[in-house]
Amino acid sequence: MTQQLTPQPEITSSDIRAHLRERAASTVRRRMFTSNVMTVLCWVAIILSAVPLVALLIKLFSKGVPVLLKSGFFTQLPQQPTLFDQTNTGGVSNAIVGTIAVIVYAILASVPLGIIVGIYTAESDSKFAATIRVIASTMVGAPSILMGLFAFGVIVVQLKLGFSILAGSFALSVLMLPVLISSTEIAVRNVPTTLREAGLALGAKPSTTSLRIVLPAATTGIVTGAILAISRAVGETAPILLVIGGAYAVTWKPSDPGSALSVSMYQDVASNYDSLKDQAWGIGLLLVLVIFVLSFAARIWAARKQKVQR
Amino acid sequence: MVTTANTSQVAAGAEGRRPSAPARGAYEWTLLLVAGLFGIISVWFVGTIIWQSASTFKTQGLYIFTGANWIPGAGTGVPSQYGGRAMIIGTFETSLIAMVIAVVIGTGTSLAINFFLPQKLKTFVATVVELLAAIPSVVYGVWGMLVLAPWFLNTVGPFLSSLPGGTAILGTTVAGKSLLLAGIVLAVMVLPTYVAISREVISSVPHELVEASLSLGATRWQTLWKTVIPTARIGLFGATSLALGRAIGETVAVSLVCGGVVGTSFKPLEPGVSIAGWIATQWGEAVGSDQIGALFALGAILMVVSLAMSIFSRRLVAKQRRAAAVV
Repeated sequence: MTQQLTPQPEITSSDIRAHLRERAASTVRRRMFTSNVMTVLCWVAIILSAVPLVALLIKLFSKGVPVLLKSGFFTQLPQQPTLFDQTNTGGVSNAIVGTIAVIVYAILASVPLGIIVGIYTAESDSKFAATIRVIASTMVGAPSILMGLFAFGVIVVQLKLGFSILAGSFALSVLMLPVLISSTEIAVRNVPTTLREAGLALGAKPSTTSLRIVLPAATTGIVTGAILAISRAVGETAPILLVIGGAYAVTWKPSDPGSALSVSMYQDVASNYDSLKDQAWGIGLLLVLVIFVLSFAARIWAARKQKVQR
Repeated sequence: MVTTANTSQVAAGAEGRRPSAPARGAYEWTLLLVAGLFGIISVWFVGTIIWQSASTFKTQGLYIFTGANWIPGAGTGVPSQYGGRAMIIGTFETSLIAMVIAVVIGTGTSLAINFFLPQKLKTFVATVVELLAAIPSVVYGVWGMLVLAPWFLNTVGPFLSSLPGGTAILGTTVAGKSLLLAGIVLAVMVLPTYVAISREVISSVPHELVEASLSLGATRWQTLWKTVIPTARIGLFGATSLALGRAIGETVAVSLVCGGVVGTSFKPLEPGVSIAGWIATQWGEAVGSDQIGALFALGAILMVVSLAMSIFSRRLVAKQRRAAAVV
């Protein structure tokens, strides 16, 4: 080997330091860049999720308010518009009465039952209670249309009572039951153990402790849960749609076929008349307002009670 | 200890238990009997749906899962054909589209609400989100049908089709109503639910963890991605499975915007059907014929899917929690 060795430039420690500093700086630059990009994307996400919902609400209010202000919307029966009188849609009095009837009957059936089962699952730690708990939490996530199928199978097929308000409330009460059970269980469990122990230590029977001490303390939570379950049931369409019969009559009788706001909305929007499609916005706005009022009531009530307790 | 996807339930936790008393009075018996009644109702529920669909499963066999045609015989003497392939695929396709959109945008939204918004605005936004989650699905359906569908027909559809390979993969829209539109409406519908839960989960990540990560020099995003999200993953999974459950079972919103065509191609821009939507659409015509049994069979499939999902998510959450407890 005759090749002459060229002297390598000597690497000083300051060179190394500079190199490392440069590398660290570039890593930080890269990380900060990623971080900033992702931060911006998070902002984009919040805008992307807000825009459609805000657009929906604006449309709902701008289209719905004129319908709600129309004379006869609350008091008249629906009218089928004709080619010659395309704007004559009447009102939704049958659906308003139908919704109230269906909900009231469903509340009567499901609220006491749900609360009692909820107390049971909260207080017992037997295997059976665990099974009931699993069933309830599975049913909370079950598709609501299955409740409609169930109501059809029971009320129309097995009991031969026909399409009716009763069938609709049956479907809704099966829908509300598991929700009520879960919310009651949480409310009862949230009562501090010390309260219960205090009752037992004073020599009260477990049943007395539970009825006189634990339940009063859990009332706020139970009622809030019930109102939220009801507000969910008010807007449900699928289960009632299958069994209520869709009648154009104002009736409170459980055995009569009736209608409901959500069902009328679903049927109106499928119509060919623009006036009926406009009417659907009005019904939607009415539903949303009722639900918002219910949720607000539940919230405010819970907040006030909590303040009183403290 | 039973674990559920619901975070507030988890928070309720194992407190408030007492050793069960040996003697049962009237109070204990009432509780037990009413709980038994609920047990009977739930068995009756499953039994009714299976009972009503049994004849269809017998006559159609596997065709109810794989068949492409839905032709009621309706007294013509021709045997009915009830194939559920289009509904089953349509359900999964719309739910998948919805979940991809909702989870990505929803998680980003929850992170932004928790870490970027000022404290006062945070509470306000949280309340609004929970209120939005209570809007009935039929309202989303009507909005999708009257507002989004025309927009899809005139603007979004043609644009997507004009992309390279757009027609081949996405198809062409004919009325705006399509599987993609149904997926998007579902995404908008489940977003408030997903954000309401995931925001709560993310806000319950201990602040010490976030501060520790930041003090070690991690950037904001590194902290969110490597500390906050992994810590919250069980709750995020719970939120996802809850939202997925709503999307799969949604009836009226999907039936109004999916187009209602029992198709064979399943391209996103073309009309399709979903299980729940199809039950609602066909119901009026089906009552009194053998089609009702076929719709019950679709309902039974939906029930099994939702049950399987619920068991799967319960298992996974329990497993994750055990793993977290070991660490």
